[in-house]
Amino acid sequence: MIASLRQIALLTGKDLRIESRSRQTLGLVSVLGILIVAVLGLGLGAHNQVAAFGATAVLWVAYLFSGVLCFEKTMAVERNDGVLAALLMAPLDRGIIYLAKLLSNLLLMLAVAAIVTPVGILFFGFDLTAAPLTFAGVMSLSMLGFAAVGTLFAAVISSTRLQGGLLAMMVFPISLPLVIASTQMMLRTFRDGAGPGMTGMGILLAFDVIFLTVSWLVFEWVLEP
Amino acid sequence: MFNAGYWILTLLLTAAAVAMLAIYTPEEATMGPIQKIFYLHLPAAICTFLACLVCFVASIGYLTQRRNWWDDLAAASGRVAVQLCSIVLITGMIWGRSAWGQWWTWSPRLTFSLILWLLYVVYLMIRTSIESPQRRAVISAVYATIAFLDVPLVYLSTRLMVDIHPTSITLAMPMKLTLAVWFVPIVLLSAGLIMARFRLYQRQRALAPPARIEPGHNGFQWAAGEVA
Amino acid sequence: MSLQPRNATVQQPADTTPAIAACGLGKALDDRQILREINLRVAAGEYIGLLGANGAGKTTLLKILATLMPPSQGEVCLFGQKLSPSNVAVRARIGLIGHQPMLYRDLSARENLTFFARLYAVNDAPARVDRMLRMVGLADRADDPVKNFSRGMVQRLSIARALLHEPWLILADEPFAGLDAPSIQSLEQLLQRLNAAGRTIVMVNHDIEQTLRLAERAIVLREGRIVLDQQTHRLYAREVLSEVS
Repeated sequence: MIASLRQIALLTGKDLRIESRSRQTLGLVSVLGILIVAVLGLGLGAHNQVAAFGATAVLWVAYLFSGVLCFEKTMAVERNDGVLAALLMAPLDRGIIYLAKLLSNLLLMLAVAAIVTPVGILFFGFDLTAAPLTFAGVMSLSMLGFAAVGTLFAAVISSTRLQGGLLAMMVFPISLPLVIASTQMMLRTFRDGAGPGMTGMGILLAFDVIFLTVSWLVFEWVLEP
Repeated sequence: MFNAGYWILTLLLTAAAVAMLAIYTPEEATMGPIQKIFYLHLPAAICTFLACLVCFVASIGYLTQRRNWWDDLAAASGRVAVQLCSIVLITGMIWGRSAWGQWWTWSPRLTFSLILWLLYVVYLMIRTSIESPQRRAVISAVYATIAFLDVPLVYLSTRLMVDIHPTSITLAMPMKLTLAVWFVPIVLLSAGLIMARFRLYQRQRALAPPARIEPGHNGFQWAAGEVA
Repeated sequence: MSLQPRNATVQQPADTTPAIAACGLGKALDDRQILREINLRVAAGEYIGLLGANGAGKTTLLKILATLMPPSQGEVCLFGQKLSPSNVAVRARIGLIGHQPMLYRDLSARENLTFFARLYAVNDAPARVDRMLRMVGLADRADDPVKNFSRGMVQRLSIARALLHEPWLILADEPFAGLDAPSIQSLEQLLQRLNAAGRTIVMVNHDIEQTLRLAERAIVLREGRIVLDQQTHRLYAREVLSEVS
């Protein structure tokens, strides 16, 4: 168990070190997120026109696109020069590779969220003071589920000659329950004044648990030709 | 088994079902004749789900056994699932238009049908996007597995949405009978379509020239011209 | 590339467990049978040259031995342990030199080797990394990112990566491709020394004469089958050539 955690830390540390050297992914993905929020802001009208419960919807669009880009790039690191083969040959459980990649993706997405979310709140004038923790909690749980599926799919398709948009096309419909559940919970919290609701939370948690487990199990089968 | 006789039988049963609908089935009190599209809608919805289930089982079968006929079955059932789901969506929209005057509402049921349709259309798109047969089979199998496990979550999350038009249908006896009668040709049709597609794919596979190993498998990118 | 002689011989199971034992091995990809009925026994410490035309299945066989692919039929045992996805420990005994470097180009040579050393749980990783860097002559460029290296330097570092965890079985896929003459000579000598110290080597090569010179046993694959399996001192290049083509 400890050995597994150490291996995950080693792999994720390597990803983050590479990212800090090139600084490509974080910059690109953040800028894309900001651009999306800006476009939506311009399209949907001025400050204060979209209520606080619309925050998740706006941010979801930004995270969906920038997240997919993030997953593609972290997986591309392994495809250069055939390094993935070296990882597969190492004496570790291949599910560890998945968990480490997932952790790298999550950390990157959190970094992006730290940049894009304040921008979104600024452009739209969202007032989240009523329940900021609910908002943070809902978005975090959703992001976890999204990354769980995105990491798996990015790994699966990374060996093919990439058709543009393939990963986005695969991840979006699967993630729709997350979008719906989080939007509905925000409606309940910010428009109706009730809490987020147990059913919604249950759905997010169920999504996270199911797809994390399934992805981790399937990963091994998927990396073999 | 799935030969001309099968299709003739299906056609006859369909004709009988339509006749029954026209002659025997009473009209529903509030909605008028368009409501009868429900008898197509519900069996088609059930068969969509069954087709998705077949796709799921076939995908898992492929991932565990790596036999090609699993892949062909998954492709066939995925395709039929989209066809059936299109029928479900269209009939649902027609029904909605006649009942509430709108072509589209974000009601839980319609939204669920839409998402299901999107999930499996993407499945078909994935299959057309990837050239290597091996990779295509693996990737679409993984996607179909995840997609099917997603379906209950989609259902639950759409239930969170507010249903402006709650539709609870109380069925009188003749209506239940019509529904039962309509199930038979729809199921036969669905199964027949899946089998027909499946046979087509198997035949195509037998005729196709053997594929070259695609350079780039599993991280090894060989120099141009080198294969093994 | 300077070489330090190895003083310790490889610790391997003392009995006659073969390094590689493949029974009825087959591999099908995309409806095509790449390998069929491969029965192979390689004793520990043998130096095998794997020859064959393009498409014969050499690389596929090597990938299966490297645990990168499961066989479709049959089974493989390395050092008495059956290869399966759950058998994680046996992978620590294998090293692969391909002509893909399998290195992270944004990291330095030292960072790459340290990463792999930790991954393989090598004892005293920093010392081992230093020794490997000196062995392949990259000690002075240890902290430069790999993307700045020349092709020859990258290949040398890749060899260091493959040998870092002191594998018992070394798999080499066209290791000389793209190297200049002095590097080829150094690599040939390195492989000889490793073999003399008791390590098993399976080398895929296009160059028949080089293989006959370096390896003690030559195996020729044609259309997925073994068509020739003999000690090299009994073979002439032209008869091997006729089997290959």
